[in-house]
Amino acid sequence: MIKYILKRCFNYVIMLFIATSMTYFLASAFMDPRSNYMSRHPHPPIASINRSLDLANINDQTPVIVRYGRWLTGIVTRWNWGLSPEQSPINGAIAPRILASVQLVTVATVLSIIFGVSIGVYTAIRQYKWQDRTLNSIATFFLVIPTAVLGLVIVYLAVSMNNGIGQRIFYVTGLHSYSGGNPFAWFLDLLQHLVLPTIVMTIPGTVSYHLTQRTYLLDTMNADYVRTARAKGLPLNKAIRRHALRTSLIPTAVDVAFSIASIFTGAVITETVFAINGLGSYFVQAIGDNDINGSVAIAAFGGVCTLTGALLADIFSAWLDPRIRLS
Amino acid sequence: MSNAMEATTDRSAFRSTTPSAVTAAPAAPHAATSHEGEAPVLSVRDLNVSFASEAGTVRAVRGMNFDLYRGKTLGIVGESGSGKSVTSMSIMGLLDSNAHVEGSITWHGEELLTKNDLAMSKIRGKGIAMVFQDPLSALTPVFSIGDQIKESLVIHNPHMGERQIRDRSIELLELVGIPEPEERLKSFPYQFSGGMRQRVMIAMAIANDPDVIIADEPTTALDVTIQAQVLDVLKKAQQETGAAVIFITHDLGVIAGIADDIIVMYTGRPVESAPVDDIFAHPAMPYTMGLLGAVPRSDRERSGRLVPIPGSPTNLVDLPKGCPFADRCPLAIDICRQREPNLEAIPGRPGQFAACHRAGEIVEKGLTFSDVYQVSEGVTSKFAGVAREDRAVALDVQGLVKTFPLTAGGFLRRKIGEVHAVDGVNLEIREGETLALVGESGSGKSTTLSEIMSFTKPQAGSVTIFDTPVDDHVARAKRRELRGMVQYIFQDPMSSLDPRLPIYDILAEPLRAQHKSREEIRVRIEELMTLVELNPDQVDRFPTQFSGGQRQRIAIARALAVSPKLLLLDEPVSALDVSIQAGVINLLEDLQNKLGIAYLFVAHNLSVVRHISNRIAVMYLGRIVESGSTAEVFLHPKHPYTQALLSAVPVPDPAIERRRARTVLQGELPSPSETFTGCPFAGRCPLFVSLSKEAQQRCLNERPGLTARADTDPDHLAACHWV
Repeated sequence: MIKYILKRCFNYVIMLFIATSMTYFLASAFMDPRSNYMSRHPHPPIASINRSLDLANINDQTPVIVRYGRWLTGIVTRWNWGLSPEQSPINGAIAPRILASVQLVTVATVLSIIFGVSIGVYTAIRQYKWQDRTLNSIATFFLVIPTAVLGLVIVYLAVSMNNGIGQRIFYVTGLHSYSGGNPFAWFLDLLQHLVLPTIVMTIPGTVSYHLTQRTYLLDTMNADYVRTARAKGLPLNKAIRRHALRTSLIPTAVDVAFSIASIFTGAVITETVFAINGLGSYFVQAIGDNDINGSVAIAAFGGVCTLTGALLADIFSAWLDPRIRLS
Repeated sequence: MSNAMEATTDRSAFRSTTPSAVTAAPAAPHAATSHEGEAPVLSVRDLNVSFASEAGTVRAVRGMNFDLYRGKTLGIVGESGSGKSVTSMSIMGLLDSNAHVEGSITWHGEELLTKNDLAMSKIRGKGIAMVFQDPLSALTPVFSIGDQIKESLVIHNPHMGERQIRDRSIELLELVGIPEPEERLKSFPYQFSGGMRQRVMIAMAIANDPDVIIADEPTTALDVTIQAQVLDVLKKAQQETGAAVIFITHDLGVIAGIADDIIVMYTGRPVESAPVDDIFAHPAMPYTMGLLGAVPRSDRERSGRLVPIPGSPTNLVDLPKGCPFADRCPLAIDICRQREPNLEAIPGRPGQFAACHRAGEIVEKGLTFSDVYQVSEGVTSKFAGVAREDRAVALDVQGLVKTFPLTAGGFLRRKIGEVHAVDGVNLEIREGETLALVGESGSGKSTTLSEIMSFTKPQAGSVTIFDTPVDDHVARAKRRELRGMVQYIFQDPMSSLDPRLPIYDILAEPLRAQHKSREEIRVRIEELMTLVELNPDQVDRFPTQFSGGQRQRIAIARALAVSPKLLLLDEPVSALDVSIQAGVINLLEDLQNKLGIAYLFVAHNLSVVRHISNRIAVMYLGRIVESGSTAEVFLHPKHPYTQALLSAVPVPDPAIERRRARTVLQGELPSPSETFTGCPFAGRCPLFVSLSKEAQQRCLNERPGLTARADTDPDHLAACHWV
């Protein structure tokens, strides 16, 4: 098992290196940081533009392979992911945003999985009964509401609640407003900020896991081996939970694993509604600014997330299904 | 609903009109086989099951009655849709929630139909256990065998200790004949073959010493050799537990050797029931006669054409007013179409009951199958009178080899070995004859067919079709001509026809590929439909509107469209019901006689093979171990494998089944990736065990060639040192 994981990790590092390098070449080919300066009126002297671009190692007049060499050396020797066109270091910009995103995303993801899978199982066992129909209708309703609208509705409700009570329970912008040294107060403050964005992100997540898990379980629920389990003397619900659920969790595990990267970068709407400086907004901004180094760094982070997810999915599937473990 | 009412009144009428036959349980024919004083373990009375479907109410079971006694085996026989499985599922309480069940099922006097799922689960697995048809999907893939056996024990004995559970599990696995049970407890289902998994299913079924075991087609998905093993295990399990067994099957051969009493079902209704000897010796209901007569026998030389039951099975949604079999019955008279007959005792035949208005007449006149069904005239062969040597060779295969690489590793796959799927096969088929290729699954039959069909140069050896060697460099035009000469017919007519194409387009496709004109295609399609005995006006219908047998006829018509000279048939009748099968076999025979086509026929059903083929080749692990004319090989099988294979085929005659000694092969087909220096069959060979040490060494070290013995038919070859 350990050997299998190590082998996988080694493969992943190679894949990650290839993917990131390709992103670097693609970004260098398509993004044009020079235009940031040339679009100004009047534009700065060409020599000074070149100097600025050279400082950030993004000058299109330098051969791309030379720039790639410098960029790679910087990462490998100094863990330096380069500068943005405005000469600000990528490392300094990306680290706090990853932290903010982790705070924002983690709870919502975990809750989505727990609620989504539970409701999926609950409705699958009661297929076409009123509970199933009701929950499916609710799911469909939330499925068609855009995140931005959902976010604004929740902000509106929270503000009315704050006003009604006359005290600020929910914060609707940012992640922190406490600046003292008490860790409990800091944590409480974080929670007050996190509750609303978490709700906004949990609902669509729950809905999608509910609908897919319901389908997966329905597929395995009528399998011959569930019938065998019932013939052995297990009541219907127990037979489903013990024999059908386990196999039906494998595709969900794979879904979760491969969505980790998009959870981070896809939270951009929630980040915008709640004015949180997370990874999603940074990604959009980097592309808009022709920030080659920033975009590549985010792509690399996304790659790490995806591959970590894939590894977790492999381990989880192997744990659920012995046929995988031994091959 | 009015139908249901009618059926109910019919049954009560029946009860009052048959008071004398059985006193203990008037509605249960089975009480007749002398069980004085003994109470039945299980009683089914007036069982009616219906399902709501989009097409209307499906009346799956109507008026089922029987009593089951300790240690006895009741066989329920019927084709698909006859209600046999639904009956067993209603006993288990495992029907879908949309099923509507009426009547009464009592187990030790306890009514089961009123119990809810929780109450039933106390009885399931403890009092009544079940073995299902498909062992490959019946075990949970993610739990070990040990865990699954443990579960069946713990559900009903929550206080059993780990030690006790382990001991009992090992004991159970030993009982069902699984070697090294301690080790095997840790194995997962995917590490077991189909036969082994069915043994595990039986072990779980008998874990709590149930007094009723229901086996629903337990051997249908298995090879004949494995079927014989599993039937033995089932008999042994019954002896150990003293349980009553309900054995459900469509195969009359299987049931002849195992059942005490038999109920024949048709469209959800029991149509005949009797002790096993009576039903096989003198059936009284035309449907039973048809079932028995329509199957070819592996123990008899082919005597003539098969006699199919005309028509196709009755639709369960709108059942006709009278006897549901009337439309297919050669003896049907007016009353048959007006009133459904009841299952009534036959005078002078104690214990035998039949649902037929003319049963009395049939018994009185002693009518048999050949009196009831019309034997139609066959077509004389185009090549009648032409000696085999004078006919052209349609297919000549010499030393054909096909291997598959075995790979390992993740990123870069490396080859670690080879599977010899086909290993030096020689075949020769001449015009107008049928060569049957038989063997267990995994023996390489289908791979041989697909290699011939691929029209590429084989890895080694040669394939020659009518004097044209198949090579990668054959000219385009020649290749198209070759493709037209050879056609393929698949096993399952449900999946081999595109459900979204009307029959016309299905039949036109191969003709368009041959660039035929529109008019030519139209004429040819009409010809084809007539040739396969379908109504040419139905070409605008879709495959789903036809029954299984009709669909296989369409598949045959499609294969014949381009006038091939050689047909490769991969299990063409094994997906069809018994009553349909005979018609398709007859059609294949007529077509061969009319058109002079050569057939390469792959089948596992040796009875069908004996009937239809002129020559036979027995395959084992990718090699041919015996070949010769069908009559000769069946009469004097030489190779121990052929002998075992033939002896494993059950014969639909209880007297013979009880008498004959069966060579049950030990073990299973070894993995094709294993390499053998000597004879690959040695590990399972019944002859090998009886040989001297030196002789055994020869088997293990020297590979036997396919040779004929000097003093016998030079055409009859076998690959064994000792024949």
